[in-house]
Amino acid sequence: MKKYSLFLTILSLLFVLSCKDKNDGPSTDFSITFSALYGAETLEKNKDYTFNGFPIFVESCRMYLSDIRLINADREVIISDVEYLDFTPENAVSASPTIVFKNVPEGDYTSIRLGYGVSPVLNAKKPSNFPAGSPLAIENDYWAGWKSYIFSVLDGKADPDNNGTKNLSFSYHCGSDAVYKTVEFFTPIKVQAGAFTQAAITFDMKEFLTNDDGTPYDMVNNPATSNDAGNVVVAQALTAHWGRATKVSQ
Amino acid sequence: MATFLQKNALWVVISFIAGFVLLEACRPEDPGPGPNPTPGDLEYIAYDPQTYVIPKPTFFPEIPIPADNPMTKDGVQLGRRLFYDPILSADSTMSCSSCHLPEGSFTDNKKFSIGIDGIAGKRNSMSLLNVAYVTDGFFWDGRAATLEKQALAPVEDPIELHNSWDNVVKKLKLHPTYPQLFRKAFGIKDREEITKELAAKAIAQFERILISSGNSKYDRFVNGDVDAFDEEEIDGKLMFFDEGAPYNLPDAQCFHCHGGVTLTGGKFFNNGLDSVGNLSEFKDLGRFLVTGIEFDKGKFRATTMRNIALTAPYMHDGRFQTLEEVIEQYHDNGFGVVNEGAFLNQIGFPNGNGTYSGLTEYQKKAIVKFLHTLTDTDFINNQDIQNPF
Ligand code: HEC
Ligand code: HEC
Repeated sequence: MKKYSLFLTILSLLFVLSCKDKNDGPSTDFSITFSALYGAETLEKNKDYTFNGFPIFVESCRMYLSDIRLINADREVIISDVEYLDFTPENAVSASPTIVFKNVPEGDYTSIRLGYGVSPVLNAKKPSNFPAGSPLAIENDYWAGWKSYIFSVLDGKADPDNNGTKNLSFSYHCGSDAVYKTVEFFTPIKVQAGAFTQAAITFDMKEFLTNDDGTPYDMVNNPATSNDAGNVVVAQALTAHWGRATKVSQ
Repeated sequence: MATFLQKNALWVVISFIAGFVLLEACRPEDPGPGPNPTPGDLEYIAYDPQTYVIPKPTFFPEIPIPADNPMTKDGVQLGRRLFYDPILSADSTMSCSSCHLPEGSFTDNKKFSIGIDGIAGKRNSMSLLNVAYVTDGFFWDGRAATLEKQALAPVEDPIELHNSWDNVVKKLKLHPTYPQLFRKAFGIKDREEITKELAAKAIAQFERILISSGNSKYDRFVNGDVDAFDEEEIDGKLMFFDEGAPYNLPDAQCFHCHGGVTLTGGKFFNNGLDSVGNLSEFKDLGRFLVTGIEFDKGKFRATTMRNIALTAPYMHDGRFQTLEEVIEQYHDNGFGVVNEGAFLNQIGFPNGNGTYSGLTEYQKKAIVKFLHTLTDTDFINNQDIQNPF
């Protein structure tokens, strides 16, 4: 009997949930183009930029975003559980991936919320739990030692003493639940078939490497995130900058 | 009914025989080898494709299969034959398996592979273990996008099988058994429909079944058999994966480039093998030959560490004979060449940002010993992947 009532509960829950979808009114495909910047420029692999008065370049820049929500007074719509953005793919110096979100309910949204990294529920899983091709099936961006996906990667080289040789490697691999962060951006976003079907989001890596007081992050003394799962000091300090580094526009 | 059958049993048998004889008579005569077979000469053979489910360890990710080349039992069997059949080479002396032998985890254990004309190539043969999971391009430089495209290359490569596909396809069409096998695998109607693309598809299907058994010592250890490793192997593993900080072991940074379940980064790096004044001095420009990106000069794909003890010599040019030499090389932290991989100069650092401690002799040995735990004898002995001839 217990089993039966559980079954009924699940059934009615399913019914209620599916009803909700049907009442959502018209929907449309909506696309967002994501790019990485350094200051005002599109970030390119191995291109020299100035950071804190010395040259640096970036070799890898990629990240996960999860639980992407469009929000207004009436509702919160999760348009994606997780996305993987590689701004420095193997075959090009830079990339600005455009992701098409299917069946987004039309409406005037007042904000968009991004989760930087992989939300804790999904982060409890691992790549073998996901079908091939899923963003979470990427073995290289999972670290068993942390029991976490690698939320974001920023690797590169720097020449802090301006002697012409980039002898400092920096590698910021942020990950683990303690580092997951969500930020809500209050940029109005309109979704309407045929008229408002796209938006853009940029991540400025220069801001990512800048502290809240405007000073540059101490790359020389903290060139890498810790490999010790219990030590997330560098990762937390840097992920705290995402809000400032991100710009949403439509 | 029973009585009807009993009464008429003889008639039933007779009509069966008659039907069979009639059917046989109607069947188009097998034209046998000949340049101009009758259209539809293979249609008498049943085409009944059965899905081939690739056996894989449960903790391995799903194997990506392209939609236009689904895995079938007959496809895999055809691919396996083609892989091992010297019919692919101009003088019928070499097959894929000449340079990709099961006992070497599908390498040939030579510095450079030697093709049918006795000419050596300039690259070391690659292991085909878990090749189905490679996503960023095949070969050391990633120049082939898919296994189907890759399989077309060796046949015409002058320093490999040095043949032409036209010639191979002609031989396959005239062959006493291949046409039937192509029919079963791909449903072609007659032997004229045999193409190099279908041959490549079959070979790719066979290559996709080259998956780890999941029974290596390492797999047993990570799946809970803590006794599978001794202390030294555990230390090696901790350093390989940068997990040794709590035990005062330095990081060896290996997993950054050789990570994931298959221990194959799949990405391209300069792993600090050569000291060059400028990037154009690399003897083999590697990834640059594919992308044209200056910083890709001297970059190669980070290959799988699984079965690494079976695939000597090492690196794209087979320059190292032993894993000990490989570790010594990494221990030197590269040469400061501008495009060297990010973690190379942190090998031997405790916890990424401490001061350099280097790797002690014991620690180097422990890493090598750990690499030996990745040997998968069940894989190389798997009957399904051996020479069918
Ligand atoms: C003469 C030796 C030789 C023969 C014959 C040969 N290969 Fe190879 N194979 C190599 C070498 C050497 C490489 C690496 C070449 C490079 O990177 O340029 C390689 C690379 C590969 C790769 C890439 C693996 C990876 O991880 O990217 C695959 C797949 C492969 N071979 C399959 C085959 C198939 C299928 C055949 C038969 C049609 C074949 N090979 C015949 C020597 C050979
Ligand atoms: C910066 C990335 C990087 C790091 C870190 C790294 N590797 Fe490699 N590794 C590579 C690349 C790229 C290759 C192929 C290079 C070539 O052939 O020129 C390679 C090749 C190898 C090979 C030879 C593979 C073969 O098929 O011949 C072995 C063995 C190896 N690495 C072991 C290790 C070990 C052990 C560590 C840690 C001490 C390590 N690697 C760290 C990138 C890396």
